[in-house]
Formats: sequence, structure tokens, C-alpha cells
Amino acid sequence: MPTSRSSSGAAVWAVLRKECLSEWRTRYGLNAALLFAVTSLAAVSFAVGRLGDRSDVLSGLLWIVLLFASLASLAHAFVREVEGKTLTLLRLVAPPTAIALGKLLFNLLFLISIEVVTVPLFLVLMGAPPPRWISFLALLALGSIALAIAATVVGAIISQTRGRGALFAGTAFPLLLPVVAAAVSGTRAQWSGAPVDAELRLLAAYAVALLAVSLLLYDHLWEE
Amino acid sequence: MIGRLLLFAWIAGWIVAAFVWAPLVPVLAETTRVLYFHIPAAWVTVLALGWSMVHSILYLKRRKLEHDDHAAGAAEIGILFCIAATASGSLWAKAMWGSYWNWDPRETSIFFLLLIYAAYLAVRSAIDQEERRARLSAIYSTVAFVAVPFLVFVVPRIYFSLHPDPLINTRGKVDMDPRIRVVFFALLIGFTALFYWMLSLRVRVARVERRGLAAPGGAT
Repeated sequence: MPTSRSSSGAAVWAVLRKECLSEWRTRYGLNAALLFAVTSLAAVSFAVGRLGDRSDVLSGLLWIVLLFASLASLAHAFVREVEGKTLTLLRLVAPPTAIALGKLLFNLLFLISIEVVTVPLFLVLMGAPPPRWISFLALLALGSIALAIAATVVGAIISQTRGRGALFAGTAFPLLLPVVAAAVSGTRAQWSGAPVDAELRLLAAYAVALLAVSLLLYDHLWEE
Repeated sequence: MIGRLLLFAWIAGWIVAAFVWAPLVPVLAETTRVLYFHIPAAWVTVLALGWSMVHSILYLKRRKLEHDDHAAGAAEIGILFCIAATASGSLWAKAMWGSYWNWDPRETSIFFLLLIYAAYLAVRSAIDQEERRARLSAIYSTVAFVAVPFLVFVVPRIYFSLHPDPLINTRGKVDMDPRIRVVFFALLIGFTALFYWMLSLRVRVARVERRGLAAPGGAT
């Protein structure tokens, strides 16, 4: 291993930069995910119309759109390595945990760039009442972090199985359900003026626990 | 053989005792008895999933396929008992709340738990190579167990739930009838022994299957 433990921060940064660069060269992952998110948003908006007075339904729909967009795209960071047969080379230059962390940060950036487009569009198209921005953004941020952490570890496992794409959605979805449930009820509370700190704490705790456990396990991800 | 008969007699005897000996809790009335089935089943679910996680970690440390057999078998039995707990809870909900399923926080979280471990089986079925299947599903099982304490202990306490542990805990822990307590703990022990027996069967079957595959010409 050319990269020692002391420079693993640099390795994480290098993996992140490499991910961004190779995404930016083709942009097909981002384009596909954005197209997916906007299309499903359009389908939802078309199907139910403006729901300005039903913030309970709105919060559910918002997170379903975000969840689907992330399920459609977040496996891609690991699957791309396997399909491009570049994983072996990548493993030569960085330890597994650094690769996984780099990809986790990339997935988070990816999710944020989807949200930057989708969330404002959602609020406008659905005629949502103005959210309480601080709680709303905190929920979005913590929800995205938890989504990215769970999706990264599942994506890493799934990339080594048969039928990767199909399996990812089915396998990551259950682990993401607690995140989505907490985020939905927090978003609903935020619109109805109730406190959201129970949900924020739940999301943060789940994210931290998942991250801690998955960091301990990434070393076992690749053997052969 | 003797152990199996003893286990059968023990569980059967205490189920009879639940009907004829233990009294009923006032509010719950006839549905009190679900307690002797539902809670032990839920307990075995958590125990089995925890067992699966422990053996997953052991597998990752020692790389013995024996641990993978334990992890897989315990997860399967955990799902089985989780279904039993869900079904008995749902029947009870019909009797007490008037509907089989109403997305009470307890119902939601146990359903999530079922889905998470169903995904574990999906991961296993998607990998052919034995070592790789053992390793990757061990990683998944350990990550999945992170959700268990949240779903079983945290979520039902944050959100308002109609689930009656307040009924049994706050009022009951103090003056729950000792006979109820005896039957309940006896069945808890019985269910735990049942889990242990089922797991040992499952592990033995897995061992025999592997030996059959490894022996020349033994593959069928």
C-alpha cells in the first residue's frame, strides 16, 4: 500500500476529486438523476395538482421524490468502478476506508446538487406554503447525510453482486426507510409549526451510528 | 431427543397454564394471553438478529464459514419470529383497537425491521461464491443491526403509540399478578430454548450441505 494511514485524509480528498472529475467529464450520472427527479416530480405534480393546504401530503411526496432520485443514482459511484474494471487500480492507490469515504462525500455532493434543483421546483410546482427555513434546511441536510451514508455502504456491497442495479433499490430502501420516516414526520411538523428537534436528533443519531459501523466494516469490503 | 420432548412439554404446559391458571389483566381482558406469545416472539426476534450480528462480526474476524451459518440461520429464524410477533400483534390490534393494521409507531417499526432483514436474504441470494457471500452479507447484517435499537427501542418512545407497554410496565411492573409473571418468564425461557434448538438444526443442516458439496461426487 503506497498510502499510509497518516495520509488517508489526502487519499479521501484524492478519491473525491477523482469522482467529481470523472462525473464532470460525462455528467451522465448527474443528468440521468436530475432527469429522473424532475420527471417524477412532474408526474407527482400532474397527478395531484397543487396541494398548498395539505402540508402533510406535501412532506411525504417531497421525500418520496428525493428518495427515488437517490435510489436511482447513488449506487452508481461503486458500480461504475466495477463495470469500468477500474476498481483494482483504485484499490492499489488508496485504502478501502478512504475510497469509501471519498465516495460517500461524492454521493453527498451529488444528492445536494439534485436537491438544489428539485426542492425549489417542488415548492413552486406544488404550491407549498413557505417552510420554516432553518428547520426545513436542517432536516434536508441531516436527511441527505443519512441517505448518503446508508446508500454508500449498500452500494459498496451491491456492486459485488449479480444484478447490481435491480438489487440496490430493493436492498437500500429498507435501510433508508427509518430516515425517510423521520424526515417526513419532521417536515410535516415544520410546516404545521410544531418542534422538530426529536426528528433532528433521531436523524443525527441514525446517521452517526451508521457511519461509525460502516467505517469499521469497509476494511472487509474487498478481499480477492 | 429428550431435550426436544422436554421443550415441547415445557411450552405446552405453560400455554395450558396461561389459560387455566394465570389471571387476566383488567383492561386487556381475554387478550391478556397474547402477552405470553407476542412478547417472547419479539424478544427472540431481537435476540436472533443480535446473534446474527455477533456471528457476522466473528466471521469477519476469523473467516470460518461456521459463523456464516450461524449468522444466516439466526437471521432467518429472526425473520420467522418477527412475522410471528407482527401477526400476533396485528390480531391483538384487531381485538383492542378495532383494525388489523393502522401504522401505529410499533407497527411501522416492526414492518421496517422485516423489510431490512428480507433485504439481507436478498443480498445472500444474489451472490454465488461462498466466501464472498459470507463476507458481504456479514457486512450487511452488521450495518442492518444498527437500525434494530432505533426501530425497537427509540422510535416507539419518541412518537405517541397506543402500544400497551405503559399498561403493563408502569402499572403492571408494580402490581402485575405474580402468576402472570411466572407464566410469562417461563414462556420467555421456552421460546429462547426453541430458538436455540431451531438454530442448531439450521446450522447442522448447513454443515451437512457444505460437506456434501465438498465431497467428490457428493454434489447433488
